Amino acid sequence: MKAKVGVYVCECGPNIASKVDLDRILETLPALDEYREIELVVKKYGLLCSADGKNYLEEEIKSNGFTHLVLGACSPRDHNKTFIGVCKKTDLNPYLYKIINIREHCAWIIPDKEKATEKAISYLRGGINRVLYQSSLFEKQLDIDPDVVVIGGGIAGIETALSLAGEKRNIYLIEKSGKIGGKSSRFSSLLPRQGKGLALIEEKIEKVSANPFIKVFLESSLESIIGFLGNFEIVVKSKNGNTDIKAGAIVVASGYGLIDPLSSESHSYSESDDVYTSLEIEEMLKEHGKIMTKSGKEPASVALVHCVGREEKGYCSRICCNYMIKIARYLKDQSDAIKVTEFHKGLCMPDKGDQSFHKAMAERGVEFRRIQKITQDGTKISFTGMDGSPGNADFDMVILAPAIVPSEDTDSLAELLEIPVSETGFFQEMHQTTDPVATSIDGIFVVGAAHSPKGITDSIFFAQAAAGRILTHLIPGEKIVPEVKVTEVLEAFCTGCQNCLDVCVYGAISYDESKGVSVVNEVVCRGCGNCFGSCPSGALRTKHFTNPQLYQEVREAIR
Amino acid sequence: MTEDYITMNRSDNVLIIGAGLAGMKAGLLLAHAGKKVYLVESLPLIGGKVIKNEESFPNLECSTCMVAPVQQDVLQNPNIETLTHSAVEKIEGEAGNFRAVIKKSARYVSMTDCIGCGMCFDPCPVSLKNAWEEDLGERKAIYVPCAGALPNVPVIDPDQCLQLNGQQECSACADSCMFGAIKLDDKDETIEVDIGAVIISTGAETFDASKLPELGYGKYPGVYTPFEFERLFASNGPTLGELTIRDSEKTPGKIAIIHCVGRQQVGYCSSVCCMYSLKFAHFIKSKLPDAEIFNIHSDICLPDKNYQKFFNKVKESDTTLIYSPSPEESKVSQNGSGLKVVYTGADGKEQHVEADMVILSGAVIPHPEGSSVATIAGLNLDSYGFFEAGKDDIGSVHTSREGVFVAGSAEGPKDIQSSVIQAESAAGQVMICLGEVNR
Repeated sequence: MKAKVGVYVCECGPNIASKVDLDRILETLPALDEYREIELVVKKYGLLCSADGKNYLEEEIKSNGFTHLVLGACSPRDHNKTFIGVCKKTDLNPYLYKIINIREHCAWIIPDKEKATEKAISYLRGGINRVLYQSSLFEKQLDIDPDVVVIGGGIAGIETALSLAGEKRNIYLIEKSGKIGGKSSRFSSLLPRQGKGLALIEEKIEKVSANPFIKVFLESSLESIIGFLGNFEIVVKSKNGNTDIKAGAIVVASGYGLIDPLSSESHSYSESDDVYTSLEIEEMLKEHGKIMTKSGKEPASVALVHCVGREEKGYCSRICCNYMIKIARYLKDQSDAIKVTEFHKGLCMPDKGDQSFHKAMAERGVEFRRIQKITQDGTKISFTGMDGSPGNADFDMVILAPAIVPSEDTDSLAELLEIPVSETGFFQEMHQTTDPVATSIDGIFVVGAAHSPKGITDSIFFAQAAAGRILTHLIPGEKIVPEVKVTEVLEAFCTGCQNCLDVCVYGAISYDESKGVSVVNEVVCRGCGNCFGSCPSGALRTKHFTNPQLYQEVREAIR
Repeated sequence: MTEDYITMNRSDNVLIIGAGLAGMKAGLLLAHAGKKVYLVESLPLIGGKVIKNEESFPNLECSTCMVAPVQQDVLQNPNIETLTHSAVEKIEGEAGNFRAVIKKSARYVSMTDCIGCGMCFDPCPVSLKNAWEEDLGERKAIYVPCAGALPNVPVIDPDQCLQLNGQQECSACADSCMFGAIKLDDKDETIEVDIGAVIISTGAETFDASKLPELGYGKYPGVYTPFEFERLFASNGPTLGELTIRDSEKTPGKIAIIHCVGRQQVGYCSSVCCMYSLKFAHFIKSKLPDAEIFNIHSDICLPDKNYQKFFNKVKESDTTLIYSPSPEESKVSQNGSGLKVVYTGADGKEQHVEADMVILSGAVIPHPEGSSVATIAGLNLDSYGFFEAGKDDIGSVHTSREGVFVAGSAEGPKDIQSSVIQAESAAGQVMICLGEVNR
């Protein structure tokens, strides 16, 4: 069938018409020798994006029976979607249409009308050549499984499960230990700004057990995973065997660990010293109801040392300042006579409710001492003040705030899930500021301290954010539409070098051992083109951005 | 009223007040889930505070490039009705069954006919200070707040327009418009919408530095607020990014950045000021490599896994960090042709630095619009004036009224990441709320 290409140039009021000679375009294009083989209809219109313009265009496509369409108009950012919408009302596949920006690229930047017109003609010729090499693409609809697997039964995992579970959505909560609740359930109390505190956490744990749509796997771990958004297949390994699960999304809530203070050069102590980590104090208090030295006495003086391991890790752990103030309160509540000194390197109190707590404890006699450097040997502390003056003191007890580090199974989980880990060792989010819960794999989210050091409040917000994403994107009974401009492999050209596997950040490419070629999972691929650039043998082709399409457009545009 | 009637009136629509990043993100999620979203914004443009920044910390990404695709998605989404230059006047009813009254102020320019070519600006005879540019630049009576504003449709300021304020007959803008888009007879419009849930994302402002007269804001042209400096630095700003001191051609040689301005007054750490203050030091150094920069700080608050790396880099190559137990108590005074900043040093004694420019890193405070929304919607504010959320909860986006949620800096000072997280959280809670009440 002979191609019939419609070319419509928009006047954009005076914006294009006064700066580009549209009549010359109308005369020039049909007369070109190279278009002898095709049928070309070239027309102009006042304002194609107006309601009348869209109707006009729709009628023109239908009555002329165009096989391809090129528009000379504004930036695709303004109206590409508008005209795709027009194409969708006709039989013309929207991937056989192209908008050429003759406003921003020609009319608005070239004062000389003749030159602007010449450039517009070149660009339009590029566009005509390109559409002739374009192919129809068709959107697919995929069924989804609304169920969700949550990895980690700490507060972030619990909140995720509770936000998502319902009649039409089952949640599978996988916990490696023997009970859910995570580290926060080992605390003795929470911060004053955290509402009803621990009672709420206990309430949430009970709600998980009582919820018929949440299935908890204790002493279990992720064994394997394949699939993609909406259709993951997961194997969970438990003590009494493996379970196969189908789910639409996965939420990683694997929590955090604490750095060993002894790994820092500034800290040394032995088991017999009255030196504790913050978590040990929480547990001591929960178990014995009191903070006591190893000899069973109440300490008369306690040093609270912030930022242990911070320099080594290269980040602030965000929550330590607040919980150290909370520990000071434990001590002051126990006895006002206990002399409490907090050694800190600048307080980090990022929540609006934090400073008043700090102020209240300072008023109760807790000494907050800002220092530059500190070394600790048993219960002996040496430090350098902000003015450079040295100091040292001995205490009955020292409590350390160790830096928060990724939980020990982070790397193995990352490998299984094929999601990246950032340079700090925590899971890497899709975009640090604008897309913090998503990962590079569609349908896999990261929440809580697995994402970065965070307290219970922020873990809850992250969990609810992941739930928000899933609740709005994985709706029971509805289908999803994957990207259609994806990459395909021309098996005859593929040498099996597997370069493309390394550059694909979405985990969309696998290697077929039997054929010796790469295979693209079109549902996972987002058409970024990374692999296309990495292929030495030209075996990869990103739909709608193929080499011939790009070459034809550029060749004409620069002629 | 029968029970059937009530059921029929239950609505799945969502009202979002404030079209900053939090409001836009929440709107896009809900629109994707098929909800009809009314996104109400008091300014004539959407995008919020982030688009005032040339680059955002910690990765110094171009803010416009980060936000513009979100703005485009919002404006082109068929499920989102964006109502700019509008304000919510009333919210009545209950979760699943609210009715909101929204006043759309006359824009005097047709949203459908205008193509944003900007031909109407030059002919307008009225020039005045542009508040969106922190009064550092000028605009006409018909204007868009900044280059690249979205929606790219101007608005006429009725108090300043000669025709509209009745000073004289003028139709210069209308005469210049080839599209007949200017409607000088445009009227305010009031619409009523049925909605099931509300998200409040009215954002925040920065502390009014003139409340601390010792810091010299408003007295010395060389003293800047954070957003004034952002606009001064911005390549699409009033000086096209040239760092010259207000009302002069002078380039500053020494710059002092004072942290924690207003912290004691508001009673909390704003969690973002250290990072933006360090960013300012980096910005200045990138344009004025010979400049001497001092960051006068007390605590350094770096509450994210990626922040300390940025701090280390800036400390290394861009600024001199000066510790003061109380930077906000510094005093700024005239010193020859420049300024002098007197502060309390680490040893408790008075110290000083000379500076040509002083930037006051002000605390984040609630947006004034928040309190009027709180009154209209009958919502509690906390003791700081931010929206109270989940009073007895550990972390929550639920306000004191069922079916009304809060996201972003309207709930308290936040960086971009935390605002986005709360927006996504609020969208999820709206889905749950509507699912439950409309079951």
